[in-house]
Amino acid sequence: MIGSVGGALLGEFKVTHVSGRGFSPEEVAEMALEKIVYVGANSHPAIRDQAEAFKAQIREVLVRYMRQAVASHNTTLMNRFRDAGHPELIKLLEN
Amino acid sequence: MAISVTTAMPTSFKVSILRAFHDFTASTGNTFKLALLKATASGSGTFGAATTNYSDLGTDQLGATGGYSTGGNTLTSVTPVADGTTAVCDFDNTTWSGATFTTCGGLIYNSSTVGGTSGRACAVLSFGGDQQVTSGDFQIQFPSPAASTAIIRIA
Repeated sequence: MIGSVGGALLGEFKVTHVSGRGFSPEEVAEMALEKIVYVGANSHPAIRDQAEAFKAQIREVLVRYMRQAVASHNTTLMNRFRDAGHPELIKLLEN
Repeated sequence: MAISVTTAMPTSFKVSILRAFHDFTASTGNTFKLALLKATASGSGTFGAATTNYSDLGTDQLGATGGYSTGGNTLTSVTPVADGTTAVCDFDNTTWSGATFTTCGGLIYNSSTVGGTSGRACAVLSFGGDQQVTSGDFQIQFPSPAASTAIIRIA
């Protein structure tokens, strides 16, 4: 139907969930990557290889900065706990 | 009876597009939301191409507990563009954080009142069975906004 007559179409979505924790920087990076870089199934192999290499580079950058964002947010939370008079909670944020 | 849900673009949505009842423009367009259904065995409705409105969910919508609010999450729309000869629509992924619930599907709908009606159905999503999350994150990931993948597209 897609190639022959067209029309209004619905794409494939994904459902992802984790229990007992939130998404990790690596998991979020993977989600972001799917939005940033899309490699078509019919792409030329050379183009696909380039795109995959670019994707790998972007993945590393995303993970690194997301870890930094988590660490910075934890610093903010630590200060809030201390300001609220609960310094003992800071230990919960330390890995 | 149990909930029956099939991924589909509601027929009413196709009609409402042609009647200009939806504006997917980012920020200034209509407000689109994604509401979740209960677990399969916890309801009795049938949802798919014949679904027309958010109100169809009725008591089959997930209860407002465990990190879920009635009406669902507001989606961040990306202004539709053309990819080749195909018009594509996209939303940012949406996440329920600190969630504890079980759901079997959802409905994307237009919560803005247009033409005197709010809640027009845009897409029915089946999760392929019950999806359970406990004290965690639950996310719907929308595909890349390309001609062959976008969540809503007109080829």
